[in-house]
Amino acid sequence: MTPVAAAIVATGQTDHVSRRLDASMAEIAREAIDRCLASRNLSFDDIDAIVAGNMEMFEGIYLVDQFFVDALGALGKPLFKLNTGGTVGASVAVCCYHLIASGRYQKVLGVGFEKQSDGSTQAAITTVGDPIWERAVMAGAIGNFATMASTYIHESGVTEEQAAKVAVKARHNACRNPHAHLKLPNLTVEEVLASEYLAFPIHRLDMCPSSDGACAIVMVAGDSADGLAEHPAWVHAAVTAHDQQYMGDSPKRLAVMRSLRAAAEKGYRQAGIADPLRDFDVAEIYEPASYAELAMCENLGICEMGAGGRLIDEGLTQMDGPLPVNPSGGVQSTNPVGATALIRVAEAALQVMGEAGEHQVPEVRRALATGYGGNAWTDLMILSRERPTP
Amino acid sequence: MTSSPAWIVGIGHAACAPARDDVNTTELAWEAISAALDDAGFQLGEIEGAVTASQDFWEGRTISSMSVNEVAGGTLRSEAKVAADGVMALLYAMARIEDGDQHLNLVVAHAKESQADPHTVELAAFDPYYERALNPDETVAAGLQADLYYRRSGLTPEHSARVVAAARRRSGVLDPLSPDEILASPITARPLRALDRAPLMDAATCLVVCDEQIARERDLPRVRLVTGAARSGPWWTARDLTVAPELRAAADEALERAGWTPDSLTRIELGAPYAHQQLLLAEALGLGEGEALVERFEADAGDPRINADGGWLGGTAGTVAGLASAAHAAHELRERGGRALVHGATGLCAQSHAVVLLEGR
Repeated sequence: MTPVAAAIVATGQTDHVSRRLDASMAEIAREAIDRCLASRNLSFDDIDAIVAGNMEMFEGIYLVDQFFVDALGALGKPLFKLNTGGTVGASVAVCCYHLIASGRYQKVLGVGFEKQSDGSTQAAITTVGDPIWERAVMAGAIGNFATMASTYIHESGVTEEQAAKVAVKARHNACRNPHAHLKLPNLTVEEVLASEYLAFPIHRLDMCPSSDGACAIVMVAGDSADGLAEHPAWVHAAVTAHDQQYMGDSPKRLAVMRSLRAAAEKGYRQAGIADPLRDFDVAEIYEPASYAELAMCENLGICEMGAGGRLIDEGLTQMDGPLPVNPSGGVQSTNPVGATALIRVAEAALQVMGEAGEHQVPEVRRALATGYGGNAWTDLMILSRERPTP
Repeated sequence: MTSSPAWIVGIGHAACAPARDDVNTTELAWEAISAALDDAGFQLGEIEGAVTASQDFWEGRTISSMSVNEVAGGTLRSEAKVAADGVMALLYAMARIEDGDQHLNLVVAHAKESQADPHTVELAAFDPYYERALNPDETVAAGLQADLYYRRSGLTPEHSARVVAAARRRSGVLDPLSPDEILASPITARPLRALDRAPLMDAATCLVVCDEQIARERDLPRVRLVTGAARSGPWWTARDLTVAPELRAAADEALERAGWTPDSLTRIELGAPYAHQQLLLAEALGLGEGEALVERFEADAGDPRINADGGWLGGTAGTVAGLASAAHAAHELRERGGRALVHGATGLCAQSHAVVLLEGR
């Protein structure tokens, strides 16, 4: 059988900040949706189904999708609520794809939202570990990434300076993105290294912020895309791969991202990617910590294994390099968790549509977006200006 | 495009009990998964991925599918978690098969309600600004709904007790009870009594679903996942709690997509945890009113039979209920043929509705 071709034609984001005192979480979600729909003169009447992502323990609202049913525009419509951790926004996009590719729906709205200032994200993230074996020793995201980054340093020889360069690139790129949270135009490598250790080797400025924000996309079927966007972002791959549940079961985690490699292998095959450095024009990679971007680039085949440090030293992933990575500023600049991975997909779509404004990379034809969550889980999407051939 | 039909080829349940303190969540899910794999004749290594259904709040764990994705075949493969009734997970799994991306998947729903404090969890589902200060829970909301529904319909707690008794009689999990015994249980939120609500349980259900090619090549006994539909309803304080037009709309859409008439259905599964909600939902589907409606729940013959294995009131867990009903229906359709409409609800007072249509050869 042949899947129905699917394309992202509209995106919308809030202007992400640490604390939105002016809006509830429902209002934040709706703001992103309204911006998304308004960008193409769409209304809720045009939408057949809604897919929503949020990590509800972060804000402490059980069945948050049911509470927000009107804010999400879902009254009288199918509402799929996904909940997969950091990946959830990308899981939303993957679900939108399947709902369209299967022929079930023509126009699907995907939305991810989080108002972290309403709750305690790290307390909730601590519950992700097995209650008997893991919770006492791996609390929250920072300790997790510190362990992984240490492994990665050991395996690849990457230095703290090289990681700091990634942190600087992200915050400089963010200055050109009107929606980004952490914009630090004058940040230097020295300042990153001088910021306190949260947990070795992670400096405070190596780590993503905690944001309030939301992101929405509209994905549509086949021919209806052409009338809605001059250059629709066609989906060429929408892949998910997980690793095992216990941290100790993932050998050399982060240095070796088995789920990312598995997802990339399938996605590249589907989209005909032979050399990712050459074949992609831009990548939006889910890098909660600076080290993660380098390790993920290695595992995505953008460089050789162990060569992540050289990638940043040689400027290959800078805005003027052959493969700009995270022109939006990435997760290190913006992290409303339920939306974060959908922002990767939306930013990749903006680049393909040629509508990224000041952070537009010239002549983008193919873009990569990834989501990361749970215990080294991956969602991966490949978007292109070319409509997939059946 | 030509969509590939999806089929149910394996069915498995974990032993359902008020407290499965002999197993953890992973083991509970594996009990259902291994039973379904055995039923279908597959090994876990052959499975391409899974759609799971669970709720973080009941599981006390953010990303609650962390506990099960490994035993659901998710290692280096695709697992997605739906935080809704299992019928929504089944609808998502159908789309993954129909577009040709996945060929052989598991659909797994699991809940260990014994490990949570129900009031704390349910309170978290209420509006934090205006409702939580009143300290409500699901039964408080359902009590208000029952009061309104009884006033509107003329039905009484005695009628609901007969619905519970019918479910208990068919249940493979719970002991039978007479309507009088149900009416003698303590008041929880007037007019509701304790036994008007399905008891909290530890439960897991798994279905093996595959595409046409695998079903044919293996010549597997199978039930077709014909189509489905879903409709979200308004927040519980923003709607008439005595009706469920969203269920009717979802059922009508699914039947129209399938080209079926309502009278061609041989079995209907209604997913709601309170007896008065069962009556309300059946009424919304046009299955009758008043005494005649109650008799439909008690009838063991005549099409369509309602909750022929007892449904949610017969013993399962929230989030699992819709998938457990689909499994029971599929089991019958595989043996005897027929057409089933399986419903699952998510939200306070059965807010949102999903239906899936199954057909046995």
